[in-house]
Amino acid sequence: MYRNRILALFSGLIILSLLLGACAAPAPAATEVATEDDVATEEATEEAAPQTTRRGGWLDEIGMKVVGADSAITQIAAGDIDIYTSNLSRPQDVQASDAAGLERSFQYGIYYELTFNPAEFSTGVYNPFTNQAIRKAMNNLIDRDYINQEVYGGLGTPKFFSFVSAFPDYARHVDVIRGLEADLAYDPARAEAEISAALEADGAELVNGVWSHSGAPLNLIFLIRSDSDGTRVPVGDYVANQLESIGFEVTRQYGTSSELAALWVSGNAADGLWHIYTGAWGVGGITRDDAGDFQFFDSPDSAYGFTTLWQSFGNHIDPEYQALANDLANAAYSNLDERKEMVGRALQYSAEHAFHVWLIDGQAFSPWQPNVSVAFDLAAGVDINPLTTFTLRFDDREGGTLQWGTPDLFVEPANPIGGSNWTYDNQWQLLTRDSAVLLNPHTGIPLPQRIAGAEVYAQEGLPIGTTYDWVDLSFVDGNEVPAEAWIDWDPVAETFITVGEAYPDGLSSLIKTVVTYPSELYDRTWHDGSPMTVADFIMPAIMTFATGTEGSSIYDEAAAGGLAAFKGGFKGWNITSTDPLTIEYYTDVWTQDAELIAGAGAATLWPEYGYGNSGWHAIAAANLAEAAGDLAYTPDKAVVQETEQTNFVGGPSLEILAGYLQQAADEGYVPFAAVLGDYITADEASARYNNLLGFYADHGHVWAGVGPYILDQAFLVEKTAVLVHNADYTDLADKWSSFAAPKVATTEIDGSARVTVGEEATFDVLVSFAGDAYPANEISSVSYLLYDAEGALVETGEATPVADGHYTVTLSGASTSALGAGSNKLEVAVVVIPVSIPAFATFDFVTE
Amino acid sequence: MSVDVTSLEAQPGAPQEQVTKKGSGRASTLVRVTKYTAVKTITLFISVVIAVYLTILIANMGGYVDQIVRGQIREFIGQQLRANQEYQLMDPAEKNAFFLSQVERAEKRYGLDRPFAVRSLAFLWNAIRMDFGTAQLMSSDTGSRQVSLIILDRLGPTLLLLGASNLILFFVSIGLALALSRSYGNIWDKLIIAFSPTSSAPSWFYGLFLILLFAAVLKWLPFGGMIDSPPPRDQLGYALNVAKHLILPTAAIITSSIFISIYNWRTFFLIYSSEDYVEMAKAKGLGDRDIQNRYILRPTLPTIITSFALLVISLWTGLILTEGVFQWPGLGRTYITAIGLYDTPVIVAITIIYAYLLALTVFLLDFVYALVDPRVKIGD
Repeated sequence: MYRNRILALFSGLIILSLLLGACAAPAPAATEVATEDDVATEEATEEAAPQTTRRGGWLDEIGMKVVGADSAITQIAAGDIDIYTSNLSRPQDVQASDAAGLERSFQYGIYYELTFNPAEFSTGVYNPFTNQAIRKAMNNLIDRDYINQEVYGGLGTPKFFSFVSAFPDYARHVDVIRGLEADLAYDPARAEAEISAALEADGAELVNGVWSHSGAPLNLIFLIRSDSDGTRVPVGDYVANQLESIGFEVTRQYGTSSELAALWVSGNAADGLWHIYTGAWGVGGITRDDAGDFQFFDSPDSAYGFTTLWQSFGNHIDPEYQALANDLANAAYSNLDERKEMVGRALQYSAEHAFHVWLIDGQAFSPWQPNVSVAFDLAAGVDINPLTTFTLRFDDREGGTLQWGTPDLFVEPANPIGGSNWTYDNQWQLLTRDSAVLLNPHTGIPLPQRIAGAEVYAQEGLPIGTTYDWVDLSFVDGNEVPAEAWIDWDPVAETFITVGEAYPDGLSSLIKTVVTYPSELYDRTWHDGSPMTVADFIMPAIMTFATGTEGSSIYDEAAAGGLAAFKGGFKGWNITSTDPLTIEYYTDVWTQDAELIAGAGAATLWPEYGYGNSGWHAIAAANLAEAAGDLAYTPDKAVVQETEQTNFVGGPSLEILAGYLQQAADEGYVPFAAVLGDYITADEASARYNNLLGFYADHGHVWAGVGPYILDQAFLVEKTAVLVHNADYTDLADKWSSFAAPKVATTEIDGSARVTVGEEATFDVLVSFAGDAYPANEISSVSYLLYDAEGALVETGEATPVADGHYTVTLSGASTSALGAGSNKLEVAVVVIPVSIPAFATFDFVTE
Repeated sequence: MSVDVTSLEAQPGAPQEQVTKKGSGRASTLVRVTKYTAVKTITLFISVVIAVYLTILIANMGGYVDQIVRGQIREFIGQQLRANQEYQLMDPAEKNAFFLSQVERAEKRYGLDRPFAVRSLAFLWNAIRMDFGTAQLMSSDTGSRQVSLIILDRLGPTLLLLGASNLILFFVSIGLALALSRSYGNIWDKLIIAFSPTSSAPSWFYGLFLILLFAAVLKWLPFGGMIDSPPPRDQLGYALNVAKHLILPTAAIITSSIFISIYNWRTFFLIYSSEDYVEMAKAKGLGDRDIQNRYILRPTLPTIITSFALLVISLWTGLILTEGVFQWPGLGRTYITAIGLYDTPVIVAITIIYAYLLALTVFLLDFVYALVDPRVKIGD
């Protein structure tokens, strides 16, 4: 009887387990796996800007806590959290997210490739990747579509060049890239033939199906990353299989980033310890100028030129390509047409040299509840997108408490000068931050957040343009820097050195930016109640120099290098008015977008120190601790000095900082009095230190920002943070609501599937967003590419506009004659202004 | 173990002689214990030193980690410079000099400006003196680079989770095992035997199962973490909130081990329960509680104490995977993070503390045995 009872109990447990397992499993194949096309055709959710009287962030409270990536979707589905802000990319996560009916972002920026070691091995062993033809033919050996579908679940985009397909430079050169891609496409027979021919020319022979050289089989050592997102193992295995299929022996050496970096980064490439590495690269935001890629990835003049690997590229690179790559990196061109021509040549060189074989543009996402909305950045996603702060909300109400999951929190000490740079810490810092400009999350072009206007005066001949009207761009014959402008720092007298003192003969710059901040700038208060004043804007300028200038009381060797690099382009600041605050910024650093130049100028005198906003008073107290050797802003100095790193949110630092705040309050201490004494009185100083002490008493930390949310509580061991609405924030909550969804275009081609050779043929191109025709004034270009039956690109051109969202492509009789009889393909590439992602469509037709 | 177990029959002998030699006996005992203590201390210390130095060598792969860290530094700085516009303005020679200066500074921070052999001895010397210094990469949860704080920040949550679960597990196992040993073969005994294979699954597995049931489906308990966000502002509310978060991980740890633990102890007690002197006591009509306390528990005390002492120091190591499943800020995760980052000061600190605790436990247990068991003499 007992046995029966026990059996019954076991049976019950098993049934319960099965039921629970069924509950947990996402519905298999219930949702179509998203593809690039899906992204392009994804229904838009753009909303009309809501009317509100609410100021600051949409939410009353945000609770942040640590959630593992593996359970994030389950926790959102269970209602435990409302949003998970780290990047997820596994196909099964997409399926689970869609099955649970969650909303999600999509973001680009990580891309995968193979790096070859082309060094001549000192061991004397033959290295096949010294042969350019073999490296290039590797492109044809790899089926990127297969990798995308099997490894990335169709989320990624096959790629053949370093340019990210969602970013502007890809769109600008899509015609050239598409043409070259045809030559690099998957063609294993061609790959085998070309590799075999090259190997035989190098003296190798195929023995019993295995390539040998000098009597020894050709064994390729393939470094395969086993960590990161886990995708490089199947990618590496696939490539290894392909290599084995054409007669190579492959040794697969799996390892973590650090283990393999010892070989491919700091090892000697000529030692022959590896042949191929599964690389991946990432960017933190939409990059608007990727022309430096050629130097970075292919030239010994790269930032990676210190490695013997990149130095070995120098033995193979065509000197003309090396010079071209340097010219592109240094923007040595006079107009955008010239740049396009140069990039086109560089792309060709890149494909020929093939030090890297580019595989996939990855796509990641962050999931959230269906009743939540947020603007996401096409590269930065949700977590480090400044607009998240201003757009994150519940759809059905203003206010409320939102539960925010993140993989980690409070990873390293937080201070504005040299604190934590972890993504997970940037999240809560961004919520407390305000900025002079915010990047358009769909194009990467800055938008004015706290700027009334900006003027950019550029040296004549520089290829600079504007997209938005908030910047006035002029071209001038040089910018004379005024003698009173600040250009350097006297660490002993603690005063700025003027241009007149440093350059008695005068100084000029390529760029002059005039930024005028809004008249209500000083109506704002820090989270501790201290009013924002002009001293808050001058302190960052002082700190830029004081930390990196030897002889300063807060000198930090770690900051010296950065300052030296900054001085390379910097030509001076000049404050021409304090109310409204108006500054002139002189520099030789420029980009193609005047908005980026103006934004950089505005940011240099904004109370943002690289790792967070801060009022001058918090910095002053921390400086006292730094000068006394009790704390150090940077980890480097903390280690050398054997002190604590300054931490504004917890740990032993707080007591030390509170002590200096009290001391400063008692003394009415005015920091850098020779400069700031003109703007700060002793009474004002005391009041501000006391405000911060009061804030410390209330919140247990001294991270007093100026953004829409206040860091209310920080539980560092428990890894939990609570942020509350800042009622004193001046902007209306719906200021940035127009960025609800990226306006990714959808493109279709319509026309006759049968075309008579020698006759003209016309095709309609329809461009839309959310079912509506895309406005013509928001479309930058619609170009077409014509491929013949062999897949070769035979013609490119521009489509003809007809109406909003309607273009036509007309193939002349000569063009159709050139195609001959067969199955051909017409492809259009649409570049729109509101988003950086181009849209593509293809149409197959038969010529007869 | 250098203890001498004398038979019970030999003890009653020569009481008169003991009295007459009382003075000299005490002196000889003192000498014996002192000598034993000295030898034991030295041997344990040497063992600790060897173990810690081996840890240093292994954690650094005999110095190869220097090569790995150098690679990491170069890769990191190269990535940083890629995004630096001002750096792009420099000519190649300037770039190279700038890069090398950044690398040199970073290598100095990691101590790579000194050979590994020298640093390994410094690590050892600092470890032995419990001078843990600062971590190379890690910081404590509260933002300090002091290794001691990195450990202390995590010690509380670790003791809370593992202390609660292991103490419950230990005493419940002993209690139930004793009871089962007295009712051998009944339904509960058979059930425990039947369920004991369930302990082949680790606690993190049960953790996933419990999270699925109680957090995802029933939504009664949190998925993980230590407190809600936002947490209650009053202390009592905070404590209750932590207790709520403690339920699932504690249950996972207990569930994964309770049956095999009861089974082990029950088997152990059964051996003693069937001893002749226990049967004799039963025959004499002694009560169950007397038999349990005087005839079963008493002779098994050394084993129970040993087990308990090792259990207590095992709390130091944490439970890496279970902490991960429940996002619990425990020492186990700190340890594994330190290993992953090759942060030698942290690895060495956790290891040396464990080594000292283990050595101290082994050392003290000999004395405890002598105290609880009259058959045990120290030093003979």
